[in-house]
Amino acid sequence: MSVTQQTLAVGRGLAPTRLARRAWHGGLQGSDYIWAVAFAIPYALVFFAFVIYPICYGLWLGSDPALYTQLFDDPRYLTAVLNTVIYVGVGVNLKMLLAFLLSGFFLRKSWWTKSLLLVFILPWATPALPAYISIHWLMNGQWGMLNNALYLLFGIDGPIYLNDHWTGLAANIGAYIWKTMPFWTIILLAGRMAVPQELYEAASVDGATGLKRFAHVTLPLMANLYIVCTLLDTIFALGDFNSTYFVSGGGPAMSTEVLATLGIRYAFTTALPRLGVATVMTALPLLIPLVFILMRKLRMNEVQL
Amino acid sequence: MVGMSRRSVLAGSVGVAAAGALARPYIANAQAKTAVCWLNQGFIPQEDAAMRQVAEDYMKASGNKLDYSIMPFMAMNQKTISALTSGDVPDLVFMDAPSSILPQNAWDDKLVDVSDVVTPYESQLSETAKLCSTFYNKVTKKRSYYLCPIKQGATPFHIWGDLVEKAGLKMSEIPKEWDGIWTYLKQAQAPLRSKGMRKVYACGLQITTVGPNDGNNLFVHFMIANGGEGIVTSDGKLHVDDPKVREAAIKSVEFMTNLYKEGVVPPEALSWNDADDNNGYHEKLFVMDFDGTLSTELAMIKDKQAFYHDMQTVAPQLKNDGTPMKTQVNAGGGYIPKGAKGVEVAKDFMKYFMQPNVMNENLKGGLGRWAPAIPQIVKDDPFWLSTEMPCLKPYITEAVLNPTLPVFEGFTPAWGQANAEQLWGQAHADVIKSGMKPADAVDKAFKRCAEIFAKVVM
Amino acid sequence: MSATTAGRRVRSPLSYRLRRYGVEAACMALGFVIFVWSVTPIYNMVMISLDSHNDIFSGTIWPEHPTLESFEVVVTQDFWYLARFWHQFGNSFFVGLMTMFLTLLIGTLASFTVGRMRLRNGWMLTNAALMTYVIPASFLAIPLYRIMQIYGLTNSLWSVILSIVTFSTPYAIFIFSQYGKSIPIELDESARIDGANPLQIYTRIYLPLMAPALVAVGTYALLLAWNEYLYNFLMLSTPESMTVAVALAQFLNSDESPWNYMMATAIIYALPPLILYYGFRRYMAAGLTMGGVKG
Repeated sequence: MSVTQQTLAVGRGLAPTRLARRAWHGGLQGSDYIWAVAFAIPYALVFFAFVIYPICYGLWLGSDPALYTQLFDDPRYLTAVLNTVIYVGVGVNLKMLLAFLLSGFFLRKSWWTKSLLLVFILPWATPALPAYISIHWLMNGQWGMLNNALYLLFGIDGPIYLNDHWTGLAANIGAYIWKTMPFWTIILLAGRMAVPQELYEAASVDGATGLKRFAHVTLPLMANLYIVCTLLDTIFALGDFNSTYFVSGGGPAMSTEVLATLGIRYAFTTALPRLGVATVMTALPLLIPLVFILMRKLRMNEVQL
Repeated sequence: MVGMSRRSVLAGSVGVAAAGALARPYIANAQAKTAVCWLNQGFIPQEDAAMRQVAEDYMKASGNKLDYSIMPFMAMNQKTISALTSGDVPDLVFMDAPSSILPQNAWDDKLVDVSDVVTPYESQLSETAKLCSTFYNKVTKKRSYYLCPIKQGATPFHIWGDLVEKAGLKMSEIPKEWDGIWTYLKQAQAPLRSKGMRKVYACGLQITTVGPNDGNNLFVHFMIANGGEGIVTSDGKLHVDDPKVREAAIKSVEFMTNLYKEGVVPPEALSWNDADDNNGYHEKLFVMDFDGTLSTELAMIKDKQAFYHDMQTVAPQLKNDGTPMKTQVNAGGGYIPKGAKGVEVAKDFMKYFMQPNVMNENLKGGLGRWAPAIPQIVKDDPFWLSTEMPCLKPYITEAVLNPTLPVFEGFTPAWGQANAEQLWGQAHADVIKSGMKPADAVDKAFKRCAEIFAKVVM
Repeated sequence: MSATTAGRRVRSPLSYRLRRYGVEAACMALGFVIFVWSVTPIYNMVMISLDSHNDIFSGTIWPEHPTLESFEVVVTQDFWYLARFWHQFGNSFFVGLMTMFLTLLIGTLASFTVGRMRLRNGWMLTNAALMTYVIPASFLAIPLYRIMQIYGLTNSLWSVILSIVTFSTPYAIFIFSQYGKSIPIELDESARIDGANPLQIYTRIYLPLMAPALVAVGTYALLLAWNEYLYNFLMLSTPESMTVAVALAQFLNSDESPWNYMMATAIIYALPPLILYYGFRRYMAAGLTMGGVKG
C-alpha cells in the first residue's frame, strides 16, 4: 500500500506530506515525559559542556575589529578567499556529483564491482598526514612516481604540477576528493539501496526506463539526501587545511593558500592565534546561511514522513 | 608566607649565581617543589636520553621535582601556542627553535623575564646567543632576556664530494667567496649528466615559499654575502630605504633566479617543502644543499661511506667583497610562560642547565647537531673540534668560532610576520614566473615589508 | 546459471548483445580508472615503505630491492620513534572504540527522544547541535584545550575522546533521525499498549531496528577518532598517553626522517578500520537506508 502511495507521489513529483504520528498521543505525560527528558540529557550535557563555551570562546577570540583590518591588509587574504571559493565550490560539488554517479555504478551486482568497492574505500581508512605527504611526493615533477610512470609508459616528461597555480590547486582539490569521496559515496550508495525496488518496477510498468526512470524515480528520491550531504560537506571543506597544507603547501608563491591554511599559519607559525580564528570567521557569512538551511531541512523532515 | 619563601629562594639563587661561576648555583631546596616541563624531542634518540639525564640529575641534586614530558616538535608548538593563548601554561618550555613563538609572545608580555637566570652567564655566553635570547616587550617598553640559551645552530653547505670529483672538479678548488661556491659547483651538472645521471642537478637552492624557513634562511645568507645584513637592526628597525640594502637584495634575487633559469636548480625547488631538499640531497639528485644544522649528515650516520667519506660539510667563509662572512645563528633553550606556578623551580632548573659542564654533556649527547651557547666549551672539550666525525669541525667552526649574526626574528616580531608571508620567495617567483625585473620584485617585497614593520611600533 | 545466461545470449538479438558488451566494457574501463585513482597514492606509500634506503624519489615505479624490513621494524618496535608503538596502538584503539560507543549512545538517545518520543521543543536540541559546525573544528582547538584544563582532563585520553564526540554526535543525531523515520511508529504504539516503558522501547525495539545505522555511524566515528591528529597533539603529552597519531607526528619532527618507517606505520595503522569495515559492510550498506530518501 505504501508503495502505491509513494509511486503516486513520485508521479506527481512531490513527496507526500502528512502529519507526523506519535506513539505518545497528545503529548508526553508523567513518567514518559521524565524518560524523554532523561534521554535528552546526555547530548544536552555534551552541548553545554563542550559546545557552548568553546564556540563563545572562539567567537570572542576573533572579536577584535583590529584583527580584521590586519587580515584585509594581508595580500594573501584575497587570494585565499578566491581559492577557497574554488576549492570548496569545485571540491565539494565535483566530489558529490562523482560520488552520486559512482554510487550508481557500485549498485552493480558483479563480483568485481563488489571487490572494487573495497579498494575504493581504502583512501578513507588511510591516515591523512602520510597519505597527503605521499601525494606531494608522487606529484614531484622531476622525480615523483607519477612522472616516472609517464616517462616509462609513454616516454614523456610530465609537467611540474606543484609549480603552477592551477595544477597546484587541482592537486589539492584532487587530494581532498580522493580522501573523502569514499565516505560520501557509501552514504549515497546506501541511499540508493533504500529506494524500494517496487518503485522501479512500478515505473517500468508505466514505461519509464533508463534516463526517464532516473529522472522520475531516482533523482526526486535522492535529491534531499544529496543536498543535505552537499551542505554538510561544504561546511567540512571550509575548515579543511590538511590537503592544501601537505600537498601544495600553499605554493607556488602562496598562490594556492585557502582560508583554513592561512588561519592555521597565522595561529601556529606566526603565533597569532586570534588572527587565525578571525581568518576562518570571515567565512561565517557563508557558513551561517548554510547552517540555517540545514536547520530548516531538519525541521521539514520532522513533519514529513 | 608562601610568597616570602618564594622570594627568598629567588633572591638566594640570584645571589649565589651572581657570585660567579660556581659549580652549583642552584639552591637545594628543603621544601621540594614541582615544575611542569615540556621538552622537545630530538632528531636522534641520544638527544632525548641526554635531556632526560639533565632532568634526572637536577631532581637528584635539588630535591625539586620536574614533571617533564618529551614530545614531537609539531605537537609541542601547537600546544605551547594554545597554552600561551588560553593561560593554562606549563612552567617551562624547552625548544630547539623557539624563534617562531618567542618574539610575538615576549612582545605581548606573556613570558617571564629570565634576566636573573641569564645575567650571571653573560660574560661566558656568545654575543649571538645573547642577542637571540632578548626580545622586546611592548608593555614594559624594553628589551630583556626571555630565553635561557643552551644551544645554537648555524647553516653550512652540504656537498657530495664524490659527485664533485666524478664531475672532474676538486673539493679543494671550491672558491671561498659565497657566489663563487655556487658558480664553481654548478659546473658539475653537465659532466655528471653526460656520465648517465639523467636527472641530476647541481644546486639544491631552496627558493621556495613552502619551506617554511628554508627560503627565508637562504635569502638572508645571500643578503649577508652581498653586504645587506643591515636590512634589520637589533633595535627592530627596517632599513629597506638604505641603497646598500636594496642593492644587496637585487643582487641576491638576480643571482638566485639566474641560477634557476640556467637550469642548474631542480625546477620543483619553487615549491619544495621542508623535507624535499633533504630527500633529494640524500638520494644524490643534486650535488649540494644549504640547510640548517648537521641533521643532513647525521641522518645518514649509518651509511659509513657517505658519512665518513662522501659527504662534505663546508662553512661559508667570505662575502662577495672578500671580507669574512658572518653566518646567521639561532639559539634554543628554555623559557617560562607568565602565569606559571612553578616559576622558581623552572628558573632554578635553567640555572642548573646553563652551567658549562651540564650544557656540554647534554649537547654532546646530541652528537653536536647543536653547538653550545658558551663558546669556551668547544675550546675546552676536545670532542667538539675532533675530526672523528668529519662534519663536526667545519660546522662548529662556523657556528661558534667564526663571527656570527643572530637570526633577525629576535629583533622584532615584524620580521617573523614578513617571513611568514614569504616575501623573498615571492620575489623569486615574481622574477621566474611573471618575468618581473629583479629590482621591481625587490621593491615590491620591500614595500610590503615596510608596511608590516609600520604596524609593529616599538 | 551460466547456462541460462548462455541460453539467453543465443536468443538475444545481435545489436542487444553488442550493446551489452559495450556497457560491460565501459564499466570495466571505468572500474580500471577507479582502481588506479584509489590506489596510486597508497601504492606510492607502499613503494616507499618497501625501500630499504628510505628513497622517496627512486626514479622507478618499483623499488629495486623491495624488502619488508620497515614493517618488521614497526611490528617489533625496533626504532626509537616506535619504541612504544603497540602501547600507542592500544591507546588509539581505546580512543576509537570509546568515541564510537559514546557517539552511538548519545546520538541514539537524543534522536529517539526527539524523533520518536517527540519531546516538546526537542527540535531545539538538534538545531543547537548544528552550532558545533559554525566554527571549523580545527579552529576550536584552543578553546577545547582550555576547557579540558578546566575539567582537569589534561593528558587524559578522555579529553581526546570527548573532543571528538563533540564533533561526531551532531552528525550522528542527524543520520539517526533520518534513519529512524523508516521504522514504523506503529511498533512503538503496540509496545506501549503492551505496557512497555520508553527505556524498553528504546532497547528492545529502537536499537535492534537501528542496528545497520549504528554500524554505519559507528564506523564513521571510529575513523574520525582514528585519523584525527590535531586534538591528539594538543591534549596528550606523556609517552603513556600518546596515540599512534602523535607517534606519526614524530616523523615530521625534522626534515630528515625514515619515511619508509613512517609509511609502514601508516599502512599498518590503516588496517584495523579496514578490517572492521570489511567485517561489517553488509550491515553498513543496509544501515544507511536513510529516511532522507523518503522525505
